[in-house]
Amino acid sequence: MLHVVTGGSGSGKSAYAETELLRLAKQNNCKKYYIATMEPFGEETLKKIERHREMRKDKGFDTLECYVNLKGTAETMTDRPAVLLECMSNLTANEIYRPDGAGERTVDRIVDGVQELCGRCEHVVIVTNEVCSECTRDSADMNRYKKILSEVNRRLAQKADWVTEVVYGIPVEVKR
Amino acid sequence: MKMIIGGAYQGQLAWAKAHFPEIADKDWMNGKECKETDIFTCKAIYGFHEYIRNVKEEQRAVLADKLIHQNPGIVLVSDEIGYGLVPIDAADRCYREQVGRICTELAAFSDEVVRVVMGIGTKIKG
Repeated sequence: MLHVVTGGSGSGKSAYAETELLRLAKQNNCKKYYIATMEPFGEETLKKIERHREMRKDKGFDTLECYVNLKGTAETMTDRPAVLLECMSNLTANEIYRPDGAGERTVDRIVDGVQELCGRCEHVVIVTNEVCSECTRDSADMNRYKKILSEVNRRLAQKADWVTEVVYGIPVEVKR
Repeated sequence: MKMIIGGAYQGQLAWAKAHFPEIADKDWMNGKECKETDIFTCKAIYGFHEYIRNVKEEQRAVLADKLIHQNPGIVLVSDEIGYGLVPIDAADRCYREQVGRICTELAAFSDEVVRVVMGIGTKIKG
């Protein structure tokens, strides 16, 4: 099953997604993978990564780093695991901006990757991000990013069995 | 504890006043102006996100816990602010995330959380 989890900054979406993945993995007694997408650049990012590592330690995840080409990472999975991918907003930015990223083909490349992942896994939980409700005027580049991430999110939601928005730690059902 | 949340100008305060008529107008503190200590004794506060902005950064980490212990019956009205691209300014980034963390901690404690969209409240907890 595919469960897409969204929410704003500091909303508790990661904690919720981890709990959800553990619940699903337990159902089928699957191996658990965490696909990390954030590149470790700068002190603030390192702190963020550290915080997430701390949150999921002792939960039995194997961590795989995937900055671009999700399909390639998905193809290494052979044991029908349960996978938590965090977070779609980073993966999208990486595909758009990295030299080895997909650039204009970002949406298709990501959706292909998710397709591959879903085909090989018992359960997939994907964390994404609400970035489109804000009053500040963004640059053309920021708008392009928002448009692409939103398209990714819409395609994921269409495929998903469940979509949940986490609001201050409270799961609000969007699709069941 | 009760929380009434929503995006900017969604009518959270009006919703709260209509649903908690027992709280007189004079008992509603404005988070933007109220003193740091008032929040631990008042019945209700609006603009809680603005209050957080005025709290010194090192005090923000303990705010939720202090509130839970010292004023567990408070009604909090707040804007949700974490739904845009990550701000360019580091202090803004930090503030925005802290509002999320504080409200998440308080929501876990609250017996009721209502989210207001276009003036219409939906109970998401309680």
